[in-house]
Amino acid sequence: MVAMSLLLVGCQTTRYVPGKPLTGDAFIDGQAAIQHGPPKDKVLWQYRTAVAAMRRGQFEEAKKLLDDAIVRISNVIGKDPTARKARSYFSPEAKKTFIGEPYERVMAYYYRGILYWRDGEPDNARACFRSAALEDSDTVDKKYSSDYVLLDYLDGLASLKLGGDGSDAFKRAGAEAKLAHPPSYNAKANVLVFVEFGQGPTKYAMGEYAERLMFRGGIAATRAAQAQVGQKSYQLQPYDDLYFQATTRGGRVMDHILANKAGFKRTTDAVGNVSLVSGLVLATSKDTQVAGLGAAAFGLISKIASGSTTPEADVRSWDNLPLFLSFAALELAPGSQTITVDFLDEASRPLADHTKTITINVPAAPADKVVYVSDKSLTPQTQ
Amino acid sequence: MEIKNTLTLSSFAAVAVLISACASSGVKNPSGVPVTEMKGDERGFVAGTGVESQDLVAVADKMARSILNVPQIANAQGTPRIALDPVMNETRFPINKDIFLTRIRTQLNSKSQGKVIFLARERMAALERERQLKQSGQVTSSSDPKLVEFKGADFLLTGKLQGLTTKTAAGTSDYVLYSFQLIDTRTTDIIWEDSAEIKKQGLEDAAYR
Repeated sequence: MVAMSLLLVGCQTTRYVPGKPLTGDAFIDGQAAIQHGPPKDKVLWQYRTAVAAMRRGQFEEAKKLLDDAIVRISNVIGKDPTARKARSYFSPEAKKTFIGEPYERVMAYYYRGILYWRDGEPDNARACFRSAALEDSDTVDKKYSSDYVLLDYLDGLASLKLGGDGSDAFKRAGAEAKLAHPPSYNAKANVLVFVEFGQGPTKYAMGEYAERLMFRGGIAATRAAQAQVGQKSYQLQPYDDLYFQATTRGGRVMDHILANKAGFKRTTDAVGNVSLVSGLVLATSKDTQVAGLGAAAFGLISKIASGSTTPEADVRSWDNLPLFLSFAALELAPGSQTITVDFLDEASRPLADHTKTITINVPAAPADKVVYVSDKSLTPQTQ
Repeated sequence: MEIKNTLTLSSFAAVAVLISACASSGVKNPSGVPVTEMKGDERGFVAGTGVESQDLVAVADKMARSILNVPQIANAQGTPRIALDPVMNETRFPINKDIFLTRIRTQLNSKSQGKVIFLARERMAALERERQLKQSGQVTSSSDPKLVEFKGADFLLTGKLQGLTTKTAAGTSDYVLYSFQLIDTRTTDIIWEDSAEIKKQGLEDAAYR
């Protein structure tokens, strides 16, 4: 009985232990976590560290991290021992190798797409945007299937740049637009500015046993951005909202499994209570002592089983994602240019201390210059 | 005594049921379905995954064999020169686009016994620099450096990767069509074209769905 109790009450911590003291530098701490943290959290730290690297202008490092993460997330087909454990009654969901919810996987491909385009590979960038769109395609309500405006818009723009026809993708982007309608393509645009702002969604758990995965709404004082190049200014409206994307999936198969786990935990707890109490009552009488002790033992086992069941939802989050995604394609003269990006509040006033200055060298046609700016980017930067 | 035995057995049975119970009951294929490679014309049971090394080898080998049988290559008077033009990727998979042509080129170079010669166009910058050094007299030259000896291509070898993807609750399916062309640079005639197709499908573990 004792051995069985030990087996059932075994506890597995899901807290990350990096093995190195935190420095407060997101990139260094992220690298340490990837190297020393649990393998099941590796992709999560690769995601977080890649974004930290991009915001510092360390695009080569971001590329390596995203490549590694994408290899993992694109190869989850078939049997996975950690996923199998996560489905068992006595292992928490967070036991599985983290690959993220669809909105997180979308962002991994989105960032890699930006970096491919930055390297002069718009076709591979388009491939990433297409894979990203696919990650969002299996929603319960088909109205929300692959409904990222920018993924389709950029797919079409890349096709146009490659001499193809991007009109279908542009139509899809227009049909999906909820926050702002993207402008028509300008084939002469040679500077592609990817802007993001706000704090993206994070996860938390609700329900009697924390079995329901929920998303905490993103926070953004910033509602739009404005890029200034010389005397010209360009408006950058948000096209996609990651909180909206996270909350319009319509449930997961894993939610069904977690609900089963919660049901099992609830039932075994109730059965345990009844058996334990009735058994102990019966045990007080000499005639029913044996039966009473048996019932109490069964109740105890049932309680232990209940206590060992782990229906908690996995709340590990890619917590440095933005809330809003925006984009602008500018037509600038080749040579050195300085782009100043202001982030605007609801009243379209620039937010103090949020201005970013990026110096770029615009190449001669037909090459494109790709610029990435976050409201959390280091400034000034040369890209 | 009999009651005691019965209770003991019942307790063990209950424990066994508790331990062996599975939370994923009611979930179809909870362990996922392994990736299965299929022929392009074979009907799949779900939908697929990306471009992998075995696809590259199979496709490049098929293309290399096919090119050698083209009459313009097999019966050419001189030795045709071929330049490579990067493959266009229209799939959803980011790939190293040059790898297919590199594989085809190495296959042809090793098996064609000199029937074709490939031009090192991707090294043009370095080659031009070397030529300039020779022309300026900074380095020696075994022939007249003023003469234009860089060869023009008789044929252009290029290709395109196109894909179709389906993702449903039953899994993900990817069909990739690999098509390659040999184009006569003088006439723009497509003197050879061949394709290969690969379809893959799979289903991830329920924990990821």
